Amino acid sequence: MKRAMLFVLCLVCLCPAAWAADLDFTVAPQAIDIHALYNGTTITMTGSVPEGCQVVARFVGAPQNVALKKKGKVFGLLWMNRETLHFGNAPGVCLIAASAPEKALGAAAAELGLSGLAKGLTIEPATAEDDALRTEFLLLKKQEGLYRQDAGTVTLGQPAGAGQTFTAAIAVPSRLSPGSYAVEISAIKDGRVVAQGLRAVEAKLSGAPAFLADLAFNHGALYGVLASVIAILGGLGIGLVFQSKGAH
Amino acid sequence: MSIPMEMYLPIAGNSVNIAAVFGLGGGVGLLSGIFGVGGGFLMTPLLIMMGIPATVAAASDSNQIVGASTSGTLAHLRLGNVDIKMGVLLLVGGVLGGTLGVGVIKALRQMGNADFLINVTYVLMLGLVGGYMFIESLQSMKKAKAPAKAEPARASGPGFFSRLVGGLPWQMDFVRSGARMSPVMPLFLGGLVGVLSAIMGVGGGFIMVPVMVYLLRMPMHVVVGTSLFQILFTCINVTVMQSISNHTVDFVLALILLIGSSLGAQVGAKVGKKLHGDQLKILLATLVLVVMVKILYELLARPDVLLAYVGGH
Repeated sequence: MKRAMLFVLCLVCLCPAAWAADLDFTVAPQAIDIHALYNGTTITMTGSVPEGCQVVARFVGAPQNVALKKKGKVFGLLWMNRETLHFGNAPGVCLIAASAPEKALGAAAAELGLSGLAKGLTIEPATAEDDALRTEFLLLKKQEGLYRQDAGTVTLGQPAGAGQTFTAAIAVPSRLSPGSYAVEISAIKDGRVVAQGLRAVEAKLSGAPAFLADLAFNHGALYGVLASVIAILGGLGIGLVFQSKGAH
Repeated sequence: MSIPMEMYLPIAGNSVNIAAVFGLGGGVGLLSGIFGVGGGFLMTPLLIMMGIPATVAAASDSNQIVGASTSGTLAHLRLGNVDIKMGVLLLVGGVLGGTLGVGVIKALRQMGNADFLINVTYVLMLGLVGGYMFIESLQSMKKAKAPAKAEPARASGPGFFSRLVGGLPWQMDFVRSGARMSPVMPLFLGGLVGVLSAIMGVGGGFIMVPVMVYLLRMPMHVVVGTSLFQILFTCINVTVMQSISNHTVDFVLALILLIGSSLGAQVGAKVGKKLHGDQLKILLATLVLVVMVKILYELLARPDVLLAYVGGH
């Protein structure tokens, strides 16, 4: 929990518009339970923003360092994995939904979007084609379903008094590592972020997946032997069923 | 109440459709039962296409092959198709060779050219093995159709290879294989396949089968059974090793696959019995060549994304 708080705090500091007014909203569910039949979920955010604002909602993972192999041609003919590159400041997940197209929202929305994320990526060692590699990185993550610009919907309610209500829904894919994620709402007016709010959402394994992951990561040898024994018994069982069928 | 179709895989960190994985297991198990190959060279790429990380796909596949090859070995034992003595010797050689191969690949990775060597070895081996088997079985199928013609090539006395094999010490009988040879042969050849499969990161069934057919001169049906027997132990070793050092075995994935593939392997063993040795050989050769063309295409065509995760192929 402490780590989650620290992470959210870091995100607040990193945000392009940390100075903007605080925005209150609720998140449901507040935690993601990854059980045996988990197949992705939808995170819903409701609250109100100042009148006349558009809303950008994001579901973002903690920044990570990712080691990737760059593909290149060997002898001008064969595509192979070449040098290793380290991509820094890359969130594991970044899902974005907005109440209007990014282009209509101006500079602040671009910064909150995937293009803004790409600009923030660091690449070690630096190459002459860093910009192209940033685009490739987005492509890789998009293919995995972990980065998405239109990951859900944001609907704005009728203006009432000084504010207007919003409901945002983001579809979270099944490919989600356990850990803490930030759900973030930005209210944008005239190309600027005028209010922003942040909530932490914890994704946790439960039930059978939690048990198996613990066994696999903390008792590897036992896990491997058990997996083999059960596989042998399964194979024998099915083999014997077939034998008795064959005998008749 | 509806039956859940999706299931979360704790190690792969992903959900999959149960029916799709079950079907995939069944299909590859069928091929495994017919040809005596583990099927890793087909299963792993298909799992990656379903969104499973490459390292988890390969390790979990080894886990499921343990089940499929148990089922397949049992079926072939009943049909009298397993030469246990030969299998054990190949296995011992394979384990020694595999250890050597792992050392070789480690050294190559440090030198930095490992990926190139792995890919080129893979394509060359698949091409050579597939091509040779295809041509050879095609010729013997033609011969079988026209039995009146004599066999001039076979009649020209023992060649260098036969004299070499005949000169080795401790000659013994391998009853099931109908052969008499020195145990040095299977030990050495098993070791060679072990080195190659460790370098390529595959089970090696598709190399082992032709080695048994052409170099050990075993009958095709006994080759299939013995190969499955041998693969069973290789894959137990890989499953335990991967679980200990890389934590990449997803047991839930393996279990769904293995139920499918064990069923497939049983059916495959029966289908295989109905086919001729030559038909089996030519079908396996075609399969191997198709995989080679696919890998070659991937090497030559520009990839969609110019970045890849470390550890995958």
